[in-house]
Amino acid sequence: MIKIENLTVAFDGADAVKHVSLELYDGEILGVVGESGSGKSVTALTLMGLLNEEAVVKEGRVIFDGEVIREGGKPLDKKLYRKYQGEKMSMIFQEPMTSLNPTQRVGKQVEEMLKLHREMKSAERKNLVLQTFRSVGLKRPESVYDSFPHQLSGGMRQRVMIAMAVILNPRLIVADEPTTALDVSVQNQIIDLLREINKTHNNTMLFITHDLNLAKRLCHRVVVMRDGEVVESGTAEEIFEHPREDYTKRLIEAVPSRMNRKKREIIRENPVVEVRDLSVFYKEGDNSLFTAGRNHQVVYDANFAIYPGESLGLVGESGCGKSSLSKAILGINQNIEGRVEQYTLRPQMIFQDPYGSLNPTKTVGWLLQEPLRAAARIDKSKAMSKSQMEEMAYDMLHKVGMKDKYFHRKPAQLSGGQRQRVSIAQALITHPGFIVADEPVSALDVTIQAQIMELMQKLQEEMKVAYLFISHDINVVYQMCDRIMVMKDGRIVEIGDTEEIFTNPQNPYTKDILYLSQA
Amino acid sequence: MTGLVLLLGIVGLFWTPYSTTQMNAAEIFQGPSFRHLFGTDNFGRDVFSRVMQGLSATIIISTTVVCFAAMAGIVIGAFTGYFGGALDEVVMRITDAVNAFPSILLTLVILSVLGSGRQNLILSLSIVFVPSFVRIVRGEFIRLRDADYIKRARLMGVGGVRILFVHILPNIFSVFWVSVMIGFNNAILAESGLSYLGIGVQAPDATLGNMLADAQGYLQVAPWCVLAPGLTIVWLVLGFSLLSEGIRIGGAQND
Repeated sequence: MIKIENLTVAFDGADAVKHVSLELYDGEILGVVGESGSGKSVTALTLMGLLNEEAVVKEGRVIFDGEVIREGGKPLDKKLYRKYQGEKMSMIFQEPMTSLNPTQRVGKQVEEMLKLHREMKSAERKNLVLQTFRSVGLKRPESVYDSFPHQLSGGMRQRVMIAMAVILNPRLIVADEPTTALDVSVQNQIIDLLREINKTHNNTMLFITHDLNLAKRLCHRVVVMRDGEVVESGTAEEIFEHPREDYTKRLIEAVPSRMNRKKREIIRENPVVEVRDLSVFYKEGDNSLFTAGRNHQVVYDANFAIYPGESLGLVGESGCGKSSLSKAILGINQNIEGRVEQYTLRPQMIFQDPYGSLNPTKTVGWLLQEPLRAAARIDKSKAMSKSQMEEMAYDMLHKVGMKDKYFHRKPAQLSGGQRQRVSIAQALITHPGFIVADEPVSALDVTIQAQIMELMQKLQEEMKVAYLFISHDINVVYQMCDRIMVMKDGRIVEIGDTEEIFTNPQNPYTKDILYLSQA
Repeated sequence: MTGLVLLLGIVGLFWTPYSTTQMNAAEIFQGPSFRHLFGTDNFGRDVFSRVMQGLSATIIISTTVVCFAAMAGIVIGAFTGYFGGALDEVVMRITDAVNAFPSILLTLVILSVLGSGRQNLILSLSIVFVPSFVRIVRGEFIRLRDADYIKRARLMGVGGVRILFVHILPNIFSVFWVSVMIGFNNAILAESGLSYLGIGVQAPDATLGNMLADAQGYLQVAPWCVLAPGLTIVWLVLGFSLLSEGIRIGGAQND
C-alpha cells in the first residue's frame, strides 16, 4: 500500500538516511528499530512530509496507494501533502506534553482535526470526539474534553494524542517512540491500545522504537536500521528468533534480559551506609524573605543498609521518591527526619543525563583531576604533585576503557557513552566506598547500555565500591544488582535478594511491575 | 570598521594632527579638505583632531565604567545567585531601587552632588550600570547552580568560592560578553549625552558629546561640525551592537 523506494535524505551535506526502501502492507504493524542516529525518525518524518527546511531529499520516492507523493530532488508539494496529512495518515509523537497546545482545552484541539477535514455540525463533532475518547480508554471523556494538557497525566495525554491520530480513521498511523516518555505500566496499556486499534480499524501502523521488547510484542514485521541504512528486515519471529545479521544479533543480546546473570556472595557486614527511619521533605515554592515554603513529604520511614561491594537496586515509577531518597542519602537535601549514617568518605553520584553531568568548559583531564584537587584541599595529607595527579587521571581513563587522546578533549567532543564513562571515572577516582547511580544507563542506546553496565560491574569488582542503582527498568536492575528495593508513593514496599524478589515477590505492586516488564 | 574607529581613538590619546585647543581665527568654518579632513569649527580648530581626542575620552570613560560595573556585577551576582537567601533579597531590592530611576536622571543627581568632571562622571555611571550586570550574572548562576555537574562538584567537596569562579564562571562567558558589549554601547551613549548637557567632561577638552553641543548653533553654516562627532557615535555604537550579535551567535553555536 505504501512504498518508500531508495530514499536518501541529507542534513548539512551528510546523509542521514541512505538508500532506504520500505514497504507497508494493508493492516500490518511494521516496526522500525534502531539506535539513535540510525535514521529511523528521519525516514518517518519524510514519509509524513514533516522534515524541516534543512533536510534535503536527494533521491528516492514515497508512493501512497500508487500515487507518488514525494520525489527526490524536488521540493515538498505542500498542497498535495495536505490532502494526505490527517486524512490518510497521522502521527503520534514521543512527548505528548509538547505536542499538545498548553493553552487550549484538549477537546477543542482534537475537534480541530474534524473542523479541517469534515463538514459536520458542532454538536456532531463534539459527540464524535467524546466517542473517540471513550474508544481510546479515557474514562469520563466529558471532563477530559474540558481539560488543559497539564491537568492530565502522561498516559492520558498520550491517549488524547492517539485519539487525535485515529479520529479520522486514517489508513496509516506513524508512531514515533510513543511510549518512551511513559512509566512501564502505562507503556503496556498504550501498547495494548495500539494493538487493539490496529485490529478493529485495520489501519496500517509504522511503529518506531529503540526498545526491541516493544517491537517484539507489537509488530508483525520488523526493520532493523543502523547509520541510515536498513540492516535486516523480516517478520518479527524471523528477526528475533533467527537473526541473520551480526548487528541484529548484538542488538538483541544487548537487551537486558532475565538470563545470564552472575551470582555473587556478598558479606553483609560493616555497612557503608545505614538509613534509619528516614523521612524526606521537599520545599514547595521559594523560601523568600517573607514567606516560608510549604513542606511536602516525599519519602516515608525508609530503613535499609548498603554493604561494601554490593549493588542495591532501587525500582519505582517516576515520582515515587527514588531521586529524593538518593539526594537525602548524599546530603544534597538536608530537609529530613531520621538518620543517615555514612561510613565512607564522600559518596559520589552518577546522573542520568550524560550531557548535563560534565562541565562543558573543561577538558576530560581537568575533570578527572578536580576530585583529587578538592580532596587535597580538604585534607592536606592527600596532596600530591601535578604529575602524580595526571598519572592517576590517565590511569582512571584507561580503567573506563578510553584512550589517551581523550585526555585533552572537552565533553562536547565525546559521544553519550563516552561521557558516561568519564562521569564514572570522575566519581571513582577518589576511591569512594559508595556511589549513587541515578538511572545511569537510561539515556543510552542498548548496545552502549550493555557496555556501561559491564564496565560498572568490572569496576565494582576491582574497587570494591557499593552502588545504589536507581532505575525504572527492572530488567536492568536484575542484571546489575544483588538486592532490590521496590518503592511506591514514597514508601519502600519490598526489599530482598534479587532472585528472591523475581521468583517469589510478596507485595502485589512488585508482582505487577514484574509481570508488566516481562518480554 | 569599528576597529578603525577604536584605533583612531587610541591614537588620539597620544597624538593628533593639530592641537585640539589651538585656535586659528584665519581658518574658521573651513569645509572638509585634505588639510582638515573634517573641516574646522567656530574657533578654527581642526574637527578631525577633536573627534580623535573626543573618541579617546569616550573610550576611556566607557571602558572604565564597563570594567568596574562588570567586575562588581560578577562578584555580587555570583554570590547572590549561588547562595540566595536574605542577602540576595536585600541586594535585589537595592538594584530594583536603582533601576526604578532612569539612568541618566540618576547620574545627573549623583553628579550634582559630587560635582562634574571626569572622575565623578566615571564613578556615577559605574554605580548606575552595576545593577544590570548583577541581574544578568545572578540569573546565569541561578540557572547553573542546579546543573548536574555543579551538584557533583559539591559532592566532591569543592569549596564554594571555587565552584563560583572556576566551575560556573567560565560557563556564563558567552552570555556575559554580550552584556558587556551592550553595556559598552549604553556607556558611550550616556557619556555623550551627559557631556552634551554640559555636566560631563568640561571644555576645553573635547568629547563627542560636548562637540555636538558646541556645534549645534552652527548647523546651517558648518554641518560638518555636527556630522563628524554625530556619525562617529553612530558608527561606534552600531559596531558594538553587531559585535555583540556576533558573539551571541558564536556562543549559540558552541553550545
